Amino acid sequence: MNETSSRPETLGRAERLGRWLENSILVGVLSGMILLAGLQILLRNFVGAGFSWVDEALRLMVLWIAMIGAVAASREYRHISIDILSRFLPPTPRLWSALIVDLFTAGVSFALCWYSYEFVAFEFDDEAVLLGDLPAWPFEAVLPVAFGLIGYRYTVWSLTRIKAIIQPEQLP
Amino acid sequence: MIWTGLILLLLALLGAPLFTIIASGAMLGYLRSDIPLSAVAIEIFGIAEMPILLAIPLFTFAGYILSESDAPGRLVRVTNAMLGWLPGGLAIVAIGTCALFTAFTGASGVTIIALGALLYPALAQAGYDDRFNLGLVTAGGSLGLLFAPSLPLILYGVVAEVSIDALFIAGVLPGLLMILTMSAYCLWVNRRNRVPLSSFSWPEVGRALSESAWELPLPLVVLGGIYSGFLAVSEAAAVTAIYVVAVEVAFRREITWSRVPGIMRESMVLVGGILLILGASLASTNYMIDAEVPQRLISLVGELVSDRTTFLFLLVLFLLALGAILDIFSALVLIVPLILPVAAEFGVHPVHLGIVFLATMQLGYLTPPIGLNLFIASYRFNQPIVRVYLATLPFMLILLVAVMLITFWPELSLALL
Repeated sequence: MNETSSRPETLGRAERLGRWLENSILVGVLSGMILLAGLQILLRNFVGAGFSWVDEALRLMVLWIAMIGAVAASREYRHISIDILSRFLPPTPRLWSALIVDLFTAGVSFALCWYSYEFVAFEFDDEAVLLGDLPAWPFEAVLPVAFGLIGYRYTVWSLTRIKAIIQPEQLP
Repeated sequence: MIWTGLILLLLALLGAPLFTIIASGAMLGYLRSDIPLSAVAIEIFGIAEMPILLAIPLFTFAGYILSESDAPGRLVRVTNAMLGWLPGGLAIVAIGTCALFTAFTGASGVTIIALGALLYPALAQAGYDDRFNLGLVTAGGSLGLLFAPSLPLILYGVVAEVSIDALFIAGVLPGLLMILTMSAYCLWVNRRNRVPLSSFSWPEVGRALSESAWELPLPLVVLGGIYSGFLAVSEAAAVTAIYVVAVEVAFRREITWSRVPGIMRESMVLVGGILLILGASLASTNYMIDAEVPQRLISLVGELVSDRTTFLFLLVLFLLALGAILDIFSALVLIVPLILPVAAEFGVHPVHLGIVFLATMQLGYLTPPIGLNLFIASYRFNQPIVRVYLATLPFMLILLVAVMLITFWPELSLALL
């Protein structure tokens, strides 16, 4: 009894922690972007020269914002999609179609996670650098991490579909 | 090959996120050509190699802040003070404010939510027909797509590698044409309506202007900054974001600081969705160019079509159909790299192509089955979707006339360049 009730508790805490992390990164990176870009304008126009690393940092921040924003979109099931057939399906086939779609999305995301991990590992071995002489891989690691999280998120979505298929009476 | 394509299409129609469809298409293509699949990751990393993309999160965030503040209400008051005395004036107010607002919010449906809620009851109160109001507000939600600094305009520049400054200028006259045709239609429809006219009053204009004194300079800051050479497009986006936060959050306090993180998350969910599709399409475009898809498309189209007029006509038909099933951002990143070389073959200027593309896709917001604005309006105003669609239909036909003019009159887009 104790074991079954503590597991959802841990999961719930992990969910809250995940959301908090997503929000912190999004808010932190976006605020940093706004401030850095503003600073660069001031420097360029009034001092005559901006820092060259700022432009590169801003581009990397765009990548981070894009990937973490995509993770947040997965949590809310709000990725851009077409979705015209499923609304004509009756409830049970619609659940099955959602299950197939979510499993497919999880699969593609995990594949992207793996191949971007390969890319990052290659850059690590290659000792590639960014922003002057900083190692590139920690900045690039956002790709496998984000795709892994998107894959995880759609695995969870798939599980909720399976649950709804098995226990249709618990549908909201 | 055909089967995998069909399966991917089916998955897309069943609602799989488009980035997975595009990315898996690219991965399958790379597999077939024996390119290591980590190359897909390198292409997605390309998001970090395009300086202009910085403009997308910054403008989107600024647009979300504006729509959460009371700026939409002030904008309506200013335009109403200036144009409300005209017969049919309020309808024109609605069109003008929607267009201006959409330019800043990037036509993500935010216009209908932020402005529709103000305009729809105001129009009803002024005695306009309910069906007319519903159609006007729904169609107005995507008007202004052609005005700087709209997101689709920037994204076209990124994908087609066309100067975004040039696109901003090129959009002005076609955008105005769309506003004018829609205004003319509104005046004509309401020619017999005895809508009581508000009288023009200088003091009200003055009050409304001073109330909006902080927001009205924004288009000037953006466009003036860019065309004076003082700011690059992405810098103008940064200035806009800083300015909007300073005015609406710090100075006017219409949005409390504690709400800002939520607005940031909300806007970045949209940005993440768009940029991930862009990243995946960088990989798929690369594969398609490798596989010489554009060349094959050119020779195929060349066999079917001999002159520019026919090409443009078929292009508009194709884009109308495309706009009905695909959102504007996905269509931009997927289709533009393919049709750009074909259009060049027929002597279509890339800037003109961009304006035609966006103007036509704009109608996609209003066409079933997935027209985004139809759903937002149906949800927001609590109306059956079919009723929204029928109410919007006349406006769509009017806009179609404008799209045809824009398509076959390239000077309209290119004259100011």
